[in-house]
Amino acid sequence: MTVLILTNDEDVTADMVVVHLNTSGVPVVRLDPADLTYSVALSGEFVHGSFRGHLSSGGRLVSIGGLRSVWLRRPGGPATRAAEPSAWLTEESGQALYGLLRGSGARWMNQPDAAHRARYKPWQLRVAQRCGLPVPATLITTFPRAAREFAERYPDLVVKPVSGVHPQDPPLAVPTSRVPPEADFSSVAHGPTLLQRRIAKRADIRLTAVGDELLAARKATSAEVDPDDVDVRFAESAEPWRPTEVPPRVAESVRSYLTAAGLAYGALDFAEDGDGIWWFLECNQSGQFGFVEVDTGLPIARTIAEWLARPRSEDPVGSGRPDTTAVS
Amino acid sequence: MQPFALNYARPAVELEATTPYVYDSGLQLNVLLDGRVAACDHALLRELGTTTSTAGSKTHFDD
Repeated sequence: MTVLILTNDEDVTADMVVVHLNTSGVPVVRLDPADLTYSVALSGEFVHGSFRGHLSSGGRLVSIGGLRSVWLRRPGGPATRAAEPSAWLTEESGQALYGLLRGSGARWMNQPDAAHRARYKPWQLRVAQRCGLPVPATLITTFPRAAREFAERYPDLVVKPVSGVHPQDPPLAVPTSRVPPEADFSSVAHGPTLLQRRIAKRADIRLTAVGDELLAARKATSAEVDPDDVDVRFAESAEPWRPTEVPPRVAESVRSYLTAAGLAYGALDFAEDGDGIWWFLECNQSGQFGFVEVDTGLPIARTIAEWLARPRSEDPVGSGRPDTTAVS
Repeated sequence: MQPFALNYARPAVELEATTPYVYDSGLQLNVLLDGRVAACDHALLRELGTTTSTAGSKTHFDD
């Protein structure tokens, strides 16, 4: 049976997993939905109570019923590279592709509905709370007055995007940033604003969860880093990521989180404070892992490959179905 | 007026326009000019930053 990987050609992080699947002799078909009707084709037939479906890409033909798993990694928008792309064609192509794949019986990393829901940061914070993970006091508001009152209660704040998306016109980066006490909050009225109590951290933690496997890395906060540079993604630091142990209580909570979210994969960010407490910041349902592996040697790509390669029936979490009864 | 969070925005730093590897649809992998698989060269990946949490920000969520 075949592993289907949905991602863009430039995704060299996905390559790290493909290498392991190739070594194991597991058949792989990798395609980008953006190439539908250009170099990717699909067909599904519902006749006399049975279903047969196929995908083809790059000269490879795979039966949809013969998929053991689908890795929803970093796919492009369906049919966006077609000869005559349009919003209508993208919608049609997305409905056809993902609709057919939902009927495949394959295990998902991650199931599309669960993946979509898991991107909502307010939802993440609530699930994390319920699963016993410490969450910094957070406010999401368009009320300037609420922002001012929150800043009076928590004078040391950071601001970050609610969505994690950066503006493109013009291209801007919006790092998590400290908010000075004298900040003017009037412009909060012009866009939902996420304010969060700053954790005085001694390290950043990146915990990559693959099924039941938890692989954590720690990056100590360098004394040379400007205290205002709170976003580890943008701060200049010579300190590398290093492997670290996951405290048992955190491990239990993280596994509860993934179950509640219906996720087979998650890259969770924590801030470790001076007492060693891991404060939950977010869970990226398709978070990057290559930079952690190249620094630490943690076998993340291999662990993902092993998860994808398992037979369908082996892993009860594997279907990646969102647990709508646990958290909604 | 712009939203509050954009008061803290900065110009995006684009990755180098060209990467020293290209996708090989036969292998389903990106390969270097000398034919090696790019994903096996961890030193190169570290240098390029193409596996970091801000890589691909233009087309995907920054995670």
